[in-house]
Amino acid sequence: MSDELDEIQAIFFEECVEGLAVAEEGLSAMAAGDTSAGVIAGVFRAVHSIKGGSGAFGHTALLGFSHRFENVLDEVRAGRIAPTPEVTQCLLGAFDILSDHVSAAQTGGDAPDDGLMLEQLDAILAGGGAPAAQPEPEPVAPEPVAAAEDEFGFVPVAAPIIDLDADFDPFGFEPVAVALDDFDAPEAAEPAGWTVRFGPSRAAMANGGEPLLVIRELESMGGEVTAVDSEALPPLAELDPEDSYFVWTLTVPASVDERDIRDCFDFVAPDSLIEVVRAEDTVVGGAEPGVAAFEELPFEPVPFEPISFEAEPVLAEPVPTPAPVAVAAPVEAPRPAVAAPKAEAPKPEAKSGGVEVAQSIRVDLGKLDQLLNLVGELVIRSSILSDRLPPADQERVELPELSRLIRQIQDNVMSLRAQPIKQAFSRVPRMLRDLMAETGKRVQLETTGEMTEVDKGVIEKIGDPLTHMIRNAVDHGIEGPEEREAAGKPAEGTIHLSAEQKGGRIIVRVRDDGRGINRERVRAKAIERGIITADAQLSDEEIDGLICAPGFSTAETISNISGRGVGMDVVRSNVESLGGRLEINSVPGEGTTFSMALPLTLAILDGMIVRLGEQRFVLPLANVIETVQPEPGQVQATSPTSEVIELRGQYLPVRRVGEMFGLRSQRAPEDSLVIIVESDTAGHVGLMVDTIDNRREVVIKSLEDNLHPIRGLGGATILGDGAIALILDVDALVVPGGGFSKYVLKGLAA
Amino acid sequence: MSTEAIANDERKIVTFTLGNQLFGIEMASLIEIREWEEPTPLPSVPSYVLGVANLRGSVIPIVGLSERLGWEPSVLHSRSCVLVVTIGGRNAGFLVDEVQDIVSIKGSEIQPAPDTEVNDQSAIAGLVKIERRTSDASNPEAMCLLLDLEALSLTRHIPELAA
Repeated sequence: MSDELDEIQAIFFEECVEGLAVAEEGLSAMAAGDTSAGVIAGVFRAVHSIKGGSGAFGHTALLGFSHRFENVLDEVRAGRIAPTPEVTQCLLGAFDILSDHVSAAQTGGDAPDDGLMLEQLDAILAGGGAPAAQPEPEPVAPEPVAAAEDEFGFVPVAAPIIDLDADFDPFGFEPVAVALDDFDAPEAAEPAGWTVRFGPSRAAMANGGEPLLVIRELESMGGEVTAVDSEALPPLAELDPEDSYFVWTLTVPASVDERDIRDCFDFVAPDSLIEVVRAEDTVVGGAEPGVAAFEELPFEPVPFEPISFEAEPVLAEPVPTPAPVAVAAPVEAPRPAVAAPKAEAPKPEAKSGGVEVAQSIRVDLGKLDQLLNLVGELVIRSSILSDRLPPADQERVELPELSRLIRQIQDNVMSLRAQPIKQAFSRVPRMLRDLMAETGKRVQLETTGEMTEVDKGVIEKIGDPLTHMIRNAVDHGIEGPEEREAAGKPAEGTIHLSAEQKGGRIIVRVRDDGRGINRERVRAKAIERGIITADAQLSDEEIDGLICAPGFSTAETISNISGRGVGMDVVRSNVESLGGRLEINSVPGEGTTFSMALPLTLAILDGMIVRLGEQRFVLPLANVIETVQPEPGQVQATSPTSEVIELRGQYLPVRRVGEMFGLRSQRAPEDSLVIIVESDTAGHVGLMVDTIDNRREVVIKSLEDNLHPIRGLGGATILGDGAIALILDVDALVVPGGGFSKYVLKGLAA
Repeated sequence: MSTEAIANDERKIVTFTLGNQLFGIEMASLIEIREWEEPTPLPSVPSYVLGVANLRGSVIPIVGLSERLGWEPSVLHSRSCVLVVTIGGRNAGFLVDEVQDIVSIKGSEIQPAPDTEVNDQSAIAGLVKIERRTSDASNPEAMCLLLDLEALSLTRHIPELAA
């Protein structure tokens, strides 16, 4: 039971994270001047759904804050408070507190101190809003619970299915009592434009969906509940407390946009009954068989022998003036939260009501990985199969067809894992606001390329490096306002965050316009810390690289933000463990750019299979520029251990890959092939191999799964015949100075 | 492991030989026993890491157990085989000379390894006397060295990779 609860809670928090991201995006857009209704409504909805869930899960602190926050947003949305920059700033601040509330609720930590922020929100509410128009605070209070349960008096009957005493209470689900009065007074005689029918599905309830919130939202647009169809309600003995049995009918004024109505159902499982129909019976947005029968809905109250329902379900025609309606939401509201998300068939009428919203499904990343792995295996097996068939059979149509299909599956699975890098960038604005508050510096953030799609695994892993780089940029790079003005720069510093795809890599840059790296100080500090000797001759680049040395920090005082000397070291090792590289580019007085070059995917690689002796290796195709069959004399030694190849008048260094791997090859250069590769560490370099087998996509198997990373290798793959081929990490192989062999694997000295 | 086994303080071990010595590992850690197949050699690894092999789609390191424990490297022969074990969530294959038996021992029968044996190479968790299933009736009992698999983990020195 508690497992199920945890599972549902986990979903709630995932949704919170998504909601927060949406809210932040919207608020940022508002801060940037886009205060269109759509943006504001987006923020409102996000906060609204967080509030809804928090109530359901008994996170009272979160509920309380999000409720107040939502009130202000509601006023802004309704146009009663103007979204001035001051208001937007305050909303951003409130958003930060909301994020803290969410994490506090998630980790069970202490709720953040939101008193000040609530005062600010109240001040906005008092100052900008018309109090008369202010919506009633929603009665999401604990008091009505008992009343609601008593009134309907059948909660205990559900005990055989759910142990209410044991499981219901800790859950803290609070059914929301709806004041029937709310529905009594239709505010206007506006002709009904839309008839909306809404019957949440079992799945919607299982997801913790709250029909009342949807109805509220429709009401906020002027909608009214005109009928509740409780026909489906079974006798009490057969009642499944996890299901939903009611279908609400609402009328919504014609002035409301259909999209806005549909938006209300964003958070409702797609298999719920959702019909939006013009009053003149035009079916909008997908035919729904139920519509035809709509007029003949049985309006007699269903006999509820065992239950004493005080509020009798009176059903009315979908006419402008609705009759009072029994709102039975509280009866079933408590159930969904404890319902296991079982994959049972929804009740018959809960068809996907022709909603055209993009539907999505939440999948555990581990399952995707598994799928990807299996597809990789499938690729391998199919090529084994093809190798084993006689040539005549290989030409038959079935085999290429099969390969094509497998390839498509593979591409699809890959694309499932691709996500816009925006997800990794989204935490930056918040961090910057905190950093600004801590340092008193002023920084604005610019981002480009945030829609660049990267493998989910990469996104997850660049979070930490990104955090450190931003902190570093604010703490060390950007100067204080006075210093900046004295240097003739705008008082507000700029951090530019960008992502772009370049070949098989994604380049993420953090560029600041601060003071740049003070090389003298870095050098002095490195000598002081014993990282380099006092007489070391270092190039500018090498000095810049020192800031990534373990234990290096130049900060005079260790601040909260950085200065512990762990940051940039972590950045570099994180980036390298991803098979990427970190580059630092600094111009004194003008700023510093950190570039992370990361692989686009951690799973599949387009590679060239090369052979060294009996062993096969995979060379990432992204690095390959050309292949040369050397003429006699084209490869010449420049020292006993180094060679160059002359290529169109240029001399490029050549490395014998076999020797790097301790494989002796007696081949003369003329019998070998030189593959010219491009590397970020050493420019163009030739790699000498025996032969090239072919080119193919390989599934990257990480060595870390069962071993540990090995410098010079990007992983391993399994070839068509089941043999393992190691994937070469070109950048690590061609490090200037032939440094490959000098890397002793850490931790394996034994 | 069944609850029954725990209750009786009994555990099953797989015994195998390296040279003339009899060794044992906990049955619970064993995934499978494979025939020896030449693994793909790796660069920059200690010589006892013989390379990597394909275990149904995942890449696992193959360790020359004899060399790892400081003995002479195993000489390959027809009964050489690889014990695939799981150590803290990571899999590895150990090359052994010959798999002997599966025996039940009691925890109380295990004697601690003598102190002198403890060094970085040693991975002996204890000694236990077991009955040998052999035709040689004159020597029915033998000393079995129980291996501490955690100590044999290839990532034990790397904190961030340690399970």
